Amino acid sequence: MAVYKRSYRAYEGPVTSPAERILVLARYAWAEAWASKITIALFILCLVPCLISLVGIYAANNPLVRSLINGKASELINVDAGFFLKVLSGQCWLALVLLSWVAPRVITFDLADSALPILLSHPISRFGYLFGKFLALFATLSIVTWIPCLGLFIYQGYTSTLPWMAGNLRIAFGILAGSFIWIILLSILGLALSAWVKWRVVATGVIFAAVFIPAGVGAIASAVLRTRWGFLLNIPYMITLVWQRLLGAPEHFNTDNFLPNGSIACMLTLACLVCFAMLNQRIRAREVVRG
Amino acid sequence: MASSMATMRERLSQAPWGLWWIQGYRLTRIELRRNLFSWRAAWIYFLAFVPTFILLIHLVVDRHSGNSISEDTSILAGIVQLYYIRLGVFFGCLGIFSRLIRGEMIERSIHFYLLSPVRRELQLLAKFAAGSIAAILLFASAILANFVLVYVGFGAAGSDYIFNGPGLGQMESYLAIIVLACLGYGAVFLLLSMMFRNPTPAAMLVLGWEAINPILPSLLQKLSVASYLRHLMPVQVGAEGIFALLTVKTEPVPAWQATLGLMALIAVVLFYSCLRIRKLEIRYTTD
Repeated sequence: MAVYKRSYRAYEGPVTSPAERILVLARYAWAEAWASKITIALFILCLVPCLISLVGIYAANNPLVRSLINGKASELINVDAGFFLKVLSGQCWLALVLLSWVAPRVITFDLADSALPILLSHPISRFGYLFGKFLALFATLSIVTWIPCLGLFIYQGYTSTLPWMAGNLRIAFGILAGSFIWIILLSILGLALSAWVKWRVVATGVIFAAVFIPAGVGAIASAVLRTRWGFLLNIPYMITLVWQRLLGAPEHFNTDNFLPNGSIACMLTLACLVCFAMLNQRIRAREVVRG
Repeated sequence: MASSMATMRERLSQAPWGLWWIQGYRLTRIELRRNLFSWRAAWIYFLAFVPTFILLIHLVVDRHSGNSISEDTSILAGIVQLYYIRLGVFFGCLGIFSRLIRGEMIERSIHFYLLSPVRRELQLLAKFAAGSIAAILLFASAILANFVLVYVGFGAAGSDYIFNGPGLGQMESYLAIIVLACLGYGAVFLLLSMMFRNPTPAAMLVLGWEAINPILPSLLQKLSVASYLRHLMPVQVGAEGIFALLTVKTEPVPAWQATLGLMALIAVVLFYSCLRIRKLEIRYTTD
């Protein structure tokens, strides 16, 4: 049998562009996230408050329904910035529940099964890998946060008997900006913690703990040291302030605990930087074998 | 009836209690070492002692006037009720007790236990005992340290409050609350870790249930660990904002009744866990 010398030659055919490679990762991560029935159940659960709000908007704009609801009760369904703040808050907290389930699914399998070195041996950078996963999470969280909220905004504009939409464009901007800030923060946090913890079972709990434990610690620091700066550890408090200010809704927190926008922005950026450092540490094409 | 009681008594007297005691003791010791003295347990120390650290800063930095004792007492009550019960002990027990069974499955080492000639119920109870001791040791010592740090800054007024006032009674109540919280949440999370491949979503449902519990009817409030503990609190911390409007005020329950109620809940959960572990099967490929 003839033996031919075979030496390595690089592939010379057409290659996909770097941007498309990231989209391939995003597509597979999306598929992995939605392969679970629990993801679908959580998604449906996330849409229930939106359906209730939809009925609320219909009732608020329907003269017959308003006439049936007497006196002060009709004021309860005023569709204004406060109403959309409640809707946005509800959706964003449900997005945290969805993320705690989805984020570990998109990244821990690669780490737990030592697939990362194989994935990163392809012509894709570490940043590209993470950006692909980030896109999948961003898309997943978008469909339960700003997309349904903006849908409700448009529906309110459509059903309102008065010209409403043009005068309340700030609400739409607030929904979009507030959701983007929350989604970016959550996605980076979810990726970092899932990569760090490695076990999916643990990662789900750690994502919740990372949001609520610092909040508790911040509240203790504020109460014990009699300072408002402890609230800078309280992500739920800070993000609610951000949403209120973006939507122009009345602030219902104690004015003694006022936090300036700059300090909130610094704190959220710092949280993201810590997450980036964690990702930089964990997402590497290496395998640690302990004997 | 009498004959069956006699048979039961005879079976109990013939059971190898000495052997079970040694097996349980050794299993507990192994688990205790893993829960308390490993790097993986460092985060539980953080959960337990982070308020202590803040109180230490308060002691060193702030001035203490005798008038603020009542304010600091309310803050301490808030720390116990809102931080330890809702967050610290909750997540700490979730980590400790989920690891006892589910963690062994993930590490693919539970078959060593299941293949050993030790009754499964005994293994479960030994693991529960080890988890409980670890959690109680950490959180109770943190509460003790917090209590001392709150009042030591007041000097004579502080010691008078502790030894001649309601201080010692409050400390006993806080310790009892922490012990019961560790046992209650521990039993629930041990069961959840056997029932679900990923017990965390179920635990988050428990967290949500505990959070909305004050606004539920009094009958449903009985199905919660925090509701029993609320009745044992020596200093009440009221709900604020919209929750204050929604909170359903239940009849005050005597401390002994709340304690017995929670102990009964723990016993029922542990009994069901013992039944479940007898039928526990593992497939590492799917688990």
